[in-house]
Amino acid sequence: MDNILIAATERSPELDFNFETNTFFLKGESYPEDVTEFYGAALKALEAHVEDLDGGTLNFTFELIYFNSSSAKILMSLFDMMEEVAEEGNTVNIVWVYEADDDNMEELGEEFGEDLEKANFKMKAIEG
Amino acid sequence: MDFDLFEKEVRIIERGKTLLESGAITCEEADKEYKKLHSAYKKLFKMTKRLVKMSDRNEEKLNKLAQTLDEKSKMLEGLSGKLAKYLSPQIYESIFSGEQDVSLTTQRKKLTVYFSDIKNFTQTTEDLQPEDLTYLLNSYFTEMSAIALKHGATIDKFIGDAMLMFFGDPETKGVKEDARACLRMAIEMQQRMADLKKVWWEKGYEHPFEMRIGINTGYCNVGNFGSEDRMDYTIIGGEVNLAARLEASADPGGILMSYETYSQVKDLVETEAREPIQVKGIRREVKPYAVTSILKDNDQNQHVIRQGCNGFDLFLNLDKLSDEDREKAKQDLSKALASLGENAR
Repeated sequence: MDNILIAATERSPELDFNFETNTFFLKGESYPEDVTEFYGAALKALEAHVEDLDGGTLNFTFELIYFNSSSAKILMSLFDMMEEVAEEGNTVNIVWVYEADDDNMEELGEEFGEDLEKANFKMKAIEG
Repeated sequence: MDFDLFEKEVRIIERGKTLLESGAITCEEADKEYKKLHSAYKKLFKMTKRLVKMSDRNEEKLNKLAQTLDEKSKMLEGLSGKLAKYLSPQIYESIFSGEQDVSLTTQRKKLTVYFSDIKNFTQTTEDLQPEDLTYLLNSYFTEMSAIALKHGATIDKFIGDAMLMFFGDPETKGVKEDARACLRMAIEMQQRMADLKKVWWEKGYEHPFEMRIGINTGYCNVGNFGSEDRMDYTIIGGEVNLAARLEASADPGGILMSYETYSQVKDLVETEAREPIQVKGIRREVKPYAVTSILKDNDQNQHVIRQGCNGFDLFLNLDKLSDEDREKAKQDLSKALASLGENAR
């Protein structure tokens, strides 16, 4: 499967899906005009990729500064997907990176992470 | 009782749970499917709650940002209001409305330039305490600026005790009306100075200020001069220098203007022609006119007739004519008419 690399814009994050190394990365702000257009193809590709994953390790890093409600729905779907992948016997490591002084992003990360039972979840504060 | 925004959803989940635990669903396959649906509903409910919470949080954040922006905008408004005092209101308006470009560009325009200063300022003020000098200068500039703004002058700058102003940019009412507005302003300023002299005298200032005014109408370069980092909206050119020269030659408490201004305002004032002067940068000989008295302002004045062209100059002030002079004027005009008639033949 071809890797997907989309550069960040003012309204959309950097999206780096590397299917060879199983590392996935979202960084920046997320309030694209059309959330399905931005995330749709990448999510479909990821969904197809994880179906074939068998006993593998997958790393997903989220480093977001701001996201709107539609993007939040996408993130929840991603977390769900990661949990399912972990439930199927794969190792899933999720890192939620947030700026140390951003209470909002910290709280959102905690909320997203609280549903995970099988996937590993880590919060990482960085200096803004 | 506490109100729960999601009361209905919570009840559905509870009902589902009770149903699943009751053992009422006897079919194992159906029981499994119901459990899945119940779990999916719980998940969706959690997602909804989270989204609503996040949406509220974002809204709160945006409101805070809007409030900060509002405070910043108010602060900028206050700052620009303070900065505005360093600029002529017309220049400020034209910059803030976007009409005026803040770049090093100039234009050539026919303006009426006003220049004034205080006669013997240095000698007059050398015995004054700084506090007294500050009071005198501030009251002088405050009063004069108010009159200038009333008449629509663009105040270029204060240079020590001197003032440079002009009419015709950035707003103009036409060369004639600009010159007339300038003269009206100069007259009102000198009248106010006469009042202020009394006030200052009574306050104990032995040598109250006396102002001299020079006015000239001509083509000047007007716009932003200086560097890209620090510029001044001002005027330059020989015609500006001429206004300064006229001011230097004016009587204390008087107004001296060039012919170019005089020709635009001659029905407003009585004047006295002075000795021509030469000014560096101006090729022509400059004929100055000193204002000697003010006629009833303006174009509706039926008591003053001022007409002229090359070889003809008529000035008639009915208010000033005695009966005897009136008769003489009639005779002179009759002679002039007869003379015109003869030449016509």
